[in-house]
Amino acid sequence: MNAAAHQRTGQADAAEAFAGWLQGLGGNGDQNGSGGIDWLESEREQAAARVRTQPVPTNKSEGWRYTGLRKLIEQGFVNVDEPVTALTPDDIGEILIPELDAHRVVLVNGRFSDVLSSLGELPKGVRVGSLRDLLESDPASVKGVLTRIAGEGRHVFASLNTAAIDDGLVLQLDRGAIAERPIEVIHLSIGMDEPRVAQPRNLLSLGDGAQAQVIERYVSLGDALYCTNSVLEIALGRDAVLKHTRIQQESRNAFHITGLYLSQEANSRYAGTNIGLGGTWARTDLVTRFAGEHAECDLKGLYLAGDQQLIDYHMDVRHALPNCASRETFKGILYGKGRAVFDGLVYVARDAQKTDAEMSNRNLILSPNAEVDTKPQLEIYADDVKCSHGTTVGQIEPEMLFYLRSRGIAASLARRMLCLGFAGEIIDALGPESLRDYVAEQVGQRLEQAPLE
Amino acid sequence: MLSVKGLKASVGDEPILKGLDLEVKPGEVHAIMGPNGSGKSTFAHVLSGREGYEVTGGSAELDGEDLFELEPEERARLGLFLAFQYPVELPGVNNMYFLKAALNAIRKSRGEEELDAVSFMRLMKEKLKILHLDDSLLKRPVNFGFSGGEKKRNEIFQMALLEPKLAILDETDSGLDIDALRIVADGVNALRSPERSMIVVTHYQRLLDYIQPDHVHVLAKGRIIRSGGKELALELEEKGYGWIVEGEAA
Repeated sequence: MNAAAHQRTGQADAAEAFAGWLQGLGGNGDQNGSGGIDWLESEREQAAARVRTQPVPTNKSEGWRYTGLRKLIEQGFVNVDEPVTALTPDDIGEILIPELDAHRVVLVNGRFSDVLSSLGELPKGVRVGSLRDLLESDPASVKGVLTRIAGEGRHVFASLNTAAIDDGLVLQLDRGAIAERPIEVIHLSIGMDEPRVAQPRNLLSLGDGAQAQVIERYVSLGDALYCTNSVLEIALGRDAVLKHTRIQQESRNAFHITGLYLSQEANSRYAGTNIGLGGTWARTDLVTRFAGEHAECDLKGLYLAGDQQLIDYHMDVRHALPNCASRETFKGILYGKGRAVFDGLVYVARDAQKTDAEMSNRNLILSPNAEVDTKPQLEIYADDVKCSHGTTVGQIEPEMLFYLRSRGIAASLARRMLCLGFAGEIIDALGPESLRDYVAEQVGQRLEQAPLE
Repeated sequence: MLSVKGLKASVGDEPILKGLDLEVKPGEVHAIMGPNGSGKSTFAHVLSGREGYEVTGGSAELDGEDLFELEPEERARLGLFLAFQYPVELPGVNNMYFLKAALNAIRKSRGEEELDAVSFMRLMKEKLKILHLDDSLLKRPVNFGFSGGEKKRNEIFQMALLEPKLAILDETDSGLDIDALRIVADGVNALRSPERSMIVVTHYQRLLDYIQPDHVHVLAKGRIIRSGGKELALELEEKGYGWIVEGEAA
């Protein structure tokens, strides 16, 4: 029976459905550069074992109700261990952000590319490199972080990624180190002959008091069909500050999965903005755990989904300790037959007094055929907390549209201005200015393609 | 310039305008007065092309062009401007960006070049001064968080910038204190010219002390029932609308 048939009966096991994802990897440590690292080998084997025993999620599984996997499994993605070496810096000119002054790291199909990266001079105590290299030269430096933060992860895709740990980006800041210029990480994908999956494993680790700004982008050259299944583990030490922008702008044929697992020590601050524009099917899980008090986690998001697009954000923020704050502000614009899912859970344990948690999800629907399934959830077991949530799904106010048109502005531009105004709260919070302009431009371009309905 | 003949319009099944005639020549200022519910605002909205009104009869032409054949933005490009009674707040839409988009759309339709950044700013500053507005206003979202007076001044500021042929001021005086009213009226007067016509829609005579009309019309029950000079406004102020409306009915 093929994988798709399994899925229809709801009994598929993941090992079969995703057989190609671990092809050429599992079990042979030497082949992917981590031979002899016992703890990592053991993590990978355990993850592979989970893949063998876990069923493929169906629309009855928690967290997958609105996000079908049939289309993804049918592609029969395979791991292709074939580094892309032909690209030169000239080839990627078109995907760069104009005038962005940053240390740039480029990964191509999940592999670190020295040729395309331009790191410049990194400040003292800041290290950027490939996971593969680090596992060869200094595996001890990632022990206790790599796989520890994500644990078993939220679902089979995290297990698949862990079973396939091989390469990815590692960014480490020593205690007190400060990276003033942003660090831009470009995950570039280009098409191959067969539909391939890349499973980069990325790690950001900030020591006590360290500060950085990271701009992560998932980009492709051309309209290739492929799958990215990335896991990102982030460890913030005491008082550390990370400003993190993630822009998912994969090809419109691509499948994208990200699991972001964040651990925050006392008094640390994480400010993350997720911009979801690309892909035909994109799923992101944002998972936050507080490991110390007075930590703050601010998650913002903006997603646009049109025809042939599903964009899904799942959030899992757990307050187990007192005095932490979390904030989720997500906005979506849907047009054509676009679909989006927002599923946010904030859990406040009994001991997590003085928790300050706020969640909002607002959506603008431009067409009667677009759909958003939004599900904000607060689970609160403490009695002295400040928690709120709100969600809206609305259309452009005819009043507003008329006001602009009465000033001579064409209906299409007027609508674009209002959509950008709606998205402004998220875009305006981005820094630096070149990044803000770039995102506004990308969003504007997408809206320009949206049909007037 | 503007020629309205036998205009009939309804909202849903309810007829609001029942055969309205109005001729406005270049440079003239016409005041349209009338009791609440007489159709004053409907008239302003129908001319500017707001949704929700159905034109069931008659015609309206601006310089010979049939307004009802045009989209709202096309009417604006033709030179029609509506100063809103309730200017709409546009959170997240930067005022300067908005003004630039509007000005460029209108300039383009006149066959003029888009303004460069320097000329645009110079023009902005010049027009802001007329309305006693601070240039910090440009950086704020359109009308968002503006006081009532600021909103109304922002309307006239837009009018100054877009230089329409025909401006319709819909209850521009409502909600303004006397100082704000004077500023708005001064702004409007500064824009009077032999080529530009205005229709001032108001419930009270007060505004007409500052903006002197050439003609005053009384609108009641969807029709203009009396027209006269500015002395008609004073008479209305003194006696109210009752006598004239009832006189008409009798």
